[in-house]
Amino acid sequence: MLTVTNVIKIFNPGTVNEKKALNGVKLHLKTGDFVTVIGSNGAGKSTLMNIISGVFPAEQGKIIIDGLDVTCHPEYHRGKIIGRVFQDPMMGTAAGMTIEENLVLAFRRGQKRSITKAIKTKDRELFREKLKLLGLNLEHNLQQKVGLLSGGQRQALTLLMATLTKPKLLLLDEHIAALDPNTAYQVMELTKQIIKNNQITTLMITHDLHQALAVGNRTIMMHEGEIVYELKGDERKKASVSTLLSLFEKARGREFSNDRMMLI
Amino acid sequence: MYLFVETLEQGLIYSLVVLGVYLSFRILDYADLSVDGTLPLGAAVAAGMIVAGYNPWLATVMATIAGMIGGFITGFLHTKFKINPLLTGILTMTALYSVNLEVMGRANIPLLNQDMIFMPIFGLEEGTFTLGLLIGIVALLVFLLYRFLDTEVGLALRATGNNRQMITSLGVNTDNMKLLGLGLSNGMVSLGGALLAQYQGFADIGMGIGTIIGGLASLIIGEVLLSNGSISRDLIAVVFGSIIFRMIIALVLWLGLPPAYLKLMTAVIVIAALAASNIKSIGLKKESPVYADSN
Repeated sequence: MLTVTNVIKIFNPGTVNEKKALNGVKLHLKTGDFVTVIGSNGAGKSTLMNIISGVFPAEQGKIIIDGLDVTCHPEYHRGKIIGRVFQDPMMGTAAGMTIEENLVLAFRRGQKRSITKAIKTKDRELFREKLKLLGLNLEHNLQQKVGLLSGGQRQALTLLMATLTKPKLLLLDEHIAALDPNTAYQVMELTKQIIKNNQITTLMITHDLHQALAVGNRTIMMHEGEIVYELKGDERKKASVSTLLSLFEKARGREFSNDRMMLI
Repeated sequence: MYLFVETLEQGLIYSLVVLGVYLSFRILDYADLSVDGTLPLGAAVAAGMIVAGYNPWLATVMATIAGMIGGFITGFLHTKFKINPLLTGILTMTALYSVNLEVMGRANIPLLNQDMIFMPIFGLEEGTFTLGLLIGIVALLVFLLYRFLDTEVGLALRATGNNRQMITSLGVNTDNMKLLGLGLSNGMVSLGGALLAQYQGFADIGMGIGTIIGGLASLIIGEVLLSNGSISRDLIAVVFGSIIFRMIIALVLWLGLPPAYLKLMTAVIVIAALAASNIKSIGLKKESPVYADSN
């Protein structure tokens, strides 16, 4: 479903601040794969997401989604087939618009937008039904401004919007990191449920090593712009957080007990 | 009474301008200063064509289209050349000064004894016809705008001003939305300019000065008094804001304020309104835009 070949991304090329954020990344996701991505700060996880979704172009390499080479496609073009949930709950929804307006914007993803009334009665029924699944009582407040919702509610809504029309690829960039533990748990449960029910191919960045192993079917570890390890199948089933930590150590090539806390 | 009706009519004409400012400033979140150039552009095109003997309705439509093109140019500078929005407006406004002079051929075109859209038909009395026509035009545009902002494209336009990142990720080309929004906005402003020239009986090269500030003052007055956050109420608030603003101006002039102080007074109204809303921070604050982490 997703093939990333030898992607290189350099920030500020030719200046003293030059940084090779991605250094020949290769990644292949089969349809239905749910891959968790781990790595320390600056490893290139978010850059990889942004390259795939087209926020900025790659210096080199190819990105193919469902057989379509999107390497040169602009971000909005890829938005038609990629669902995204950002770390910041404010980013995925339009605060000044109502819940149903936000949902209908997502519902028309990938279609030509026309000059006809956006929200039809039958859309509302579908929205209510979908919102009910969130269990947040939002289905009774379709006309409420999204800006009045809590961070957790907005993130749940963003997740619903990202998957309202089944995307070919779902990108989750630490989407529960900014939520309180209880809300984070609920949104994560919801995430698992939606992905499972719709068989959505997913790439999820997380800083929670336990979660990286607990959800999905594959885990990749990034370091200095490269994918350094991948865990899947039995190996992954047997792995624990300490396995991941020792892999991190190997990747860095040195003891790092001092900053171990950073990773947990 | 005569003064009241005249002020009301001016307020209605300017409400088209304020609707344009509302579209760019509020809906699109784009501080577009090109309206200072597209208002006289509308007046110039309409007056020029009327003097040349064209049908005044055709002249008014062409003036609107000219304004839309002005808006597209502003949008083009921003979306294609990545020039700062504030600067794009100033550039268009400055360039339009020359264009307007060229269109008019001189600094002022009087429209005495010309055929204009305010010429009564159906044997109506002139005053009644003018007011009726203006109410009709404003009501029609408010209705069309209200319907448009509820369409799929209209929602995408609003989302572009509200959260660009989000609507991009939902597959909308925000550059096109900005072009559309600025085109519509400046078209409305030019239409206002065309009506104003015909209403006051002349087009003048200097008539656009302070359009954006007057528009903002009207917008803020309307929002403070009438808005509840819904689009329909916003649009009505814009129209009433414009009328009230013109009433305030008429009142202070009547009380003896020298006309030269008008722009100063307008600026003070805007500053006071902005300062008040920021100091109280009554939920008018917009979220600061969030850019993708480059990490």
